[in-house]
Amino acid sequence: MEPTSSATDASTPPAPGRTVLCIEDEHFISELYGRALTKNGYVVTAIADGEVALKEAQTNKYDIILLDLMIPNLSGIEILRVLRDPARVPPLKAKIIITTNLEQREDVRADIEKRADGYLVKAELTPYQLVDFLNTVK
Amino acid sequence: MDRLDQLHSKVRIYLLVLVIIQTGIAVGVFYLLTSQTKLSAALCLLISLGLSTLVALVTVGLLTNLLLQPLKAIWQTIVHLSPEEHGVSTPTFNDLKLGRDLVTSLATQIYQLVNVSSQAEAEMKLVAGDLSHNFVAQNLPLPLIMLDETETIRFANQAAAQYIGITANDMIGKNAYMVLDMSFPSEKTFDVWLKEAKAKSATAVSSWERVRLNLRDDHPVRLFDLAAYYNRNNTEHNETMLVLFDHTKEYSQDDQAVSFMALSVHELRTPLTLLRGYIEVFEDELGKDIKDPELQGFMLKMHAMAEQLTAFVNNILNVARVDNDQLELKLESEDWSTTLKSSIEMLSLRAKVRDITLKCSIAQDLPAVAVDRLSIREVINNLIDNAIKYSGSSKVIEIKTYINREGLVETTIQDFGLGISTSILPNLFSKFYRDHRNRAQIGGTGLGLYLSKAIVTAHGGNLWVRSHEGEGSTFGFTLIPYDKMANNLKSKDSEITRGAHGWIKNHSLYRR
Repeated sequence: MEPTSSATDASTPPAPGRTVLCIEDEHFISELYGRALTKNGYVVTAIADGEVALKEAQTNKYDIILLDLMIPNLSGIEILRVLRDPARVPPLKAKIIITTNLEQREDVRADIEKRADGYLVKAELTPYQLVDFLNTVK
Repeated sequence: MDRLDQLHSKVRIYLLVLVIIQTGIAVGVFYLLTSQTKLSAALCLLISLGLSTLVALVTVGLLTNLLLQPLKAIWQTIVHLSPEEHGVSTPTFNDLKLGRDLVTSLATQIYQLVNVSSQAEAEMKLVAGDLSHNFVAQNLPLPLIMLDETETIRFANQAAAQYIGITANDMIGKNAYMVLDMSFPSEKTFDVWLKEAKAKSATAVSSWERVRLNLRDDHPVRLFDLAAYYNRNNTEHNETMLVLFDHTKEYSQDDQAVSFMALSVHELRTPLTLLRGYIEVFEDELGKDIKDPELQGFMLKMHAMAEQLTAFVNNILNVARVDNDQLELKLESEDWSTTLKSSIEMLSLRAKVRDITLKCSIAQDLPAVAVDRLSIREVINNLIDNAIKYSGSSKVIEIKTYINREGLVETTIQDFGLGISTSILPNLFSKFYRDHRNRAQIGGTGLGLYLSKAIVTAHGGNLWVRSHEGEGSTFGFTLIPYDKMANNLKSKDSEITRGAHGWIKNHSLYRR
């Protein structure tokens, strides 16, 4: 994506007040994502610990959850399983977007994708591409 | 011996009777003539001797016939049994007057002997055909496999069993294609190659090919030279002899080099992503405030270099995927002009920092093509990157896309730079191949075109090059319109999954 075009994209469709929970243990990444998202009208909370993040997600006050699969204390796959439990009342309102660098086996990836609302490979993603993507997530 | 004695005494009696009769005739005639006629004694003797000689001649003739009958019968028997053309009828012994028992028993023995020897001969043949009893074949340290005319395995030696990890007994009787899981570097398959080897056998003693033998799960892949020796109309049904020469060590060096690079550059991905992210944030938030045009240029260049480095890392990772047969393509219906434009846009920065203009002409009404967007982007990336690298002092690169005569979507990327000498064109798409004249001046891994070729081929297309030294090069590739591809598959799947070495999957498992 051309940087100039993404900059114009970012300035036109803001997302005032949409809340994002960024579950990510790589500080540099949450910092970058946080900056780009905040600039575009998102409200971002970043948490690096699996257990803490799950508790926070359970409050059901987020519109979007960015979920890294490899995080300490509780794996992203486990968090996904709990949050997407069909017996959960009320159902989680957040859209869950997986962000990972793991190259999954196709069948594993397909399984994760089925339960999540998006799947992004971090190595192929710049912060403004993430913004563009989240702008399309309704 | 009884029968021989019998014959002996019979012959003796015949001869004795003959001598007595002879003597009787001579004496009787002499007596008759001397007593009844007035002939002189000398004349009488002459007449009687003459008469008896006459009788003797007749009887000896008869007797010889009689005595030689058994010998003739034996001769007849032997000639009759000989495999050559002889025209001798089956001998019968019933009308034998002399030695019938002896001849019958001798003939029986001859028949038995012939039987035994032909059985032995047949057994010898069997042993020759079944190499499992052959010490040399069994213990040869090279994997040796014999196939019959239906490509069924007739024999596999111990080395073959060891390499493949299946006992010889489990291999014998099975179809070679089921047992030997071989990959060829070309687009050939084992059966096509074998057929060609057979067809060529009139002119060549053997056919050679470098192959990758995929062994059982717990064994690594090994690399061999495969030789097929074809032997038509072989009575023992050992029609094709396959010999494998293990060259894993030599051949895997290339692969190891790629694996090592892949392992190393994998670690570059995260820092690179972060670097690009930070650059992007800077550009976005600071770009407008930088007034110094040189500094603005630096910012663009920094961004372009980071992207170039990312492309390099992706290239190596993708080559490793191609080599391990792990590159999977999801062919989806894409609007080619949109895909191409966005790829070119990504590269325009890299061209811009080198003052090169990308000129693009896209034909109207292009059909949607069946492509994997990320992979085909790598191809465009590599081809334009190459064009930039080899542009020399030329500042224009032309990109065209149109429907060619075969109804395929063809895209060409033309530079007006250094060009490629004819002598190196054939090797251009080989792994690690680089034009030696430019090695020092122009960086590269020699993997870009190899990867591009693999990706385009996996899309069912063709990557070609046309070049004049000093005038520049044109690289082109074809893509199949989605409708055509879907029709070919006779499938309504909205998505087609392929591997780098051709079709691998086409089913709904991967559908989102």
